[in-house]
Amino acid sequence: MASIGKLNRHQARTAYLFITPTMLLFLAFTIVPVVMALYLSFTNYDVVSRMDFVGIDNYKRLIDDALFWQTFKNVCYYAVIFIPLNILISLLLALLLNFKRFGVKLFRTMNYLPTLTSAVAAATVWIWLLHPEFGLINNLLSYFGVIGPAWLAQTETAMFSIIMVTLWQSVGSNMVIYIAGLQGVPDYLYESAKLDGATALDRFRYITWPQLRPTTFLVSTMSIIGALQLFDQAFVLTQGGPGNVTKTPVYLIYQQGFNQLQMGYASAQAFILAIAILIFSFINMRATKSEESIV
Amino acid sequence: MKKWISLAALATVVVATASGCGSNSNDNGNTSATNANNSASTNGGTEASSSEPVELTFWGDWGGEGQKQFETMVDAFNKSQDKIRVKYVLQQDMITKFLTAATSGGSPDILFWDRWRTSLYAPKNVLHPVDEFMAKDGLNKDDFYGEALKELSYQDKLYGLPLTVDARALFYNKKILTDAGVNQPPTTWDELEQAAIKTTKWNGNKLEVAGFSLGDNGLFNMYLQQAGGQMMSEDGTKTNFNNDQGKAVLEYWDRMLNQDKVYKVGFEQGLGEGTDAFVTGKLAMQYTGPWMLSTYKKYGKDLDFGIVPPPAGPNGDKGSVMGGFGLVIPEGSKHQAEAWEFIKWWTANKDNALLWAKTSLNIPGFKPALEDPFFKDDPFWKPFLDTLEFAKIRPAHPGYSVMEGDALIPNLQLFQQSKQSLEDTLKKAQQRGDQLLNDNAEVK
Repeated sequence: MASIGKLNRHQARTAYLFITPTMLLFLAFTIVPVVMALYLSFTNYDVVSRMDFVGIDNYKRLIDDALFWQTFKNVCYYAVIFIPLNILISLLLALLLNFKRFGVKLFRTMNYLPTLTSAVAAATVWIWLLHPEFGLINNLLSYFGVIGPAWLAQTETAMFSIIMVTLWQSVGSNMVIYIAGLQGVPDYLYESAKLDGATALDRFRYITWPQLRPTTFLVSTMSIIGALQLFDQAFVLTQGGPGNVTKTPVYLIYQQGFNQLQMGYASAQAFILAIAILIFSFINMRATKSEESIV
Repeated sequence: MKKWISLAALATVVVATASGCGSNSNDNGNTSATNANNSASTNGGTEASSSEPVELTFWGDWGGEGQKQFETMVDAFNKSQDKIRVKYVLQQDMITKFLTAATSGGSPDILFWDRWRTSLYAPKNVLHPVDEFMAKDGLNKDDFYGEALKELSYQDKLYGLPLTVDARALFYNKKILTDAGVNQPPTTWDELEQAAIKTTKWNGNKLEVAGFSLGDNGLFNMYLQQAGGQMMSEDGTKTNFNNDQGKAVLEYWDRMLNQDKVYKVGFEQGLGEGTDAFVTGKLAMQYTGPWMLSTYKKYGKDLDFGIVPPPAGPNGDKGSVMGGFGLVIPEGSKHQAEAWEFIKWWTANKDNALLWAKTSLNIPGFKPALEDPFFKDDPFWKPFLDTLEFAKIRPAHPGYSVMEGDALIPNLQLFQQSKQSLEDTLKKAQQRGDQLLNDNAEVK
């Protein structure tokens, strides 16, 4: 800091002045609640009558809470299928809709539309479409002589149905991000590759995909966070059933905190979830190595 | 990009908090208003001499039709006297708001209360006992449904009065039953099974008419009572269904679902009003409560249905689960005596309880009101009143609903889909259930 000149120091001061409101809000609404939650996770806080320090009791209880770990298994299963499909489908859509052709904007808009609907409203409509006897999906299947399952009520298909519905809702926004990424790839790379005789597949393999690394990193990170925090679709579509196969950590945290008033225990669960998200995001960062510059 | 996301996240947080603050400040506004009135009334003397009426805030989470029904009652009360003014405030997510209000002031004076919550909240001293008021006004506890009072009690203290009582009974579609040659509605498990088999229609692999709804696993409690069992042990600390009675229920379900095939898992899922399987003639019989009456009556002749009390189990035991709402006074209320006047007027007066019944089509918890022809002579109400004679409340354990929702029902679902044997189902539900009861037992 000492080597910075006077002008720089002045600029720095102005800059701090400008970011102060944001930082204050960040402090009040993010830092303080997080620290509070960490403290509460070591208490038996119940909102109304008590807040005694209980040491690591909540975390001890967590270890034996089979259901909590099952919800983690559930969201991991969800993530393993959801994230690759999410990247694949939104990238394919983006590649398809990246051309400047007549009407392409219409298709982009249509693909984006599901993202704009409320998660709960869309899930309610999907319950209908997935109904075993009167639903559109099973009716279509019956034309091909296939008897569709009770999608949301059977243990085998319940999570899969949720994956499909959330995919339908999220590929639109990721497609937009990918289109932006695609348009940021410099044309001269493609031109020179073409001159060197690279096929379309080669160009994708050696230019597009590496160039899109930061975009993929963004999309995959957001998907990981979204997957671990899955709640509303699962809640509306299946209420965590059948047989707990679609119950998620956030659902448990909500129930423990607000229905059972065990805010301390819920905070402990929330912290474990936050740490899990941190770990998976870190692994993802390593895997995509976004920090390395590409060109 | 990252910056954008954090900005967007921040914006969401700010907006969410701002809206939260908005509603809070409203609540505070209400309280300060009531406070002002409070001091005014104490200055002028608490009795009739006060010119300014005491203003009470009544919180409930019924909107739409329910809100209108509440307001009808509130208006009637306000007109009946000039000392107390009650105002109904609709609170979405009422319980969460009540939690903050209970600790930070701004508590309402009267709270619309889902009774089963009492065992969780009463030990935390956020509700005010009403025993003294009861004694002072000489109200007779026998005028109310005993089970409903039990549900509003904790350690020999009563925390409110029942506003509604309900229990499930068997709804049957008369036309479907007659067409299938069933002339009498079932009164026992065997008759129910036979009637269900006769009314079920399959078209290949497609279920067209389900004989009997087995969609709600939460009704296990009811079946267990019919089989002669109880959900919880005598001392109220452990589950009590991993035994012959529990086995009887699951065998019955398994027979109906997987051998007789009178139902299909997921058959009714997502069917709302208007597409209700019972309304559309796709379901012959089901257990449901008085809350469906107004919906079904709307269809008039298109839906010819009858109601009978739940069929008895193999040993003649009857069983149904009583639920319903009450009115309670929060400990944080500054006008508990006035709040009691309102509750007494509404729930412990024959005429007003009846007005409420006719307005909302609910069964009031005050028995004298049920003597009225409105209930006595109505073929739809009679079976419910009969059912309420033997219906039992859910066990009053603060962890009961979690035990049911997280331990019992998931295992029952696995059993219904033949993913788990009967023995495993009961054993796992018991182990997990006892653990959850234990984890959630301590509420003080």
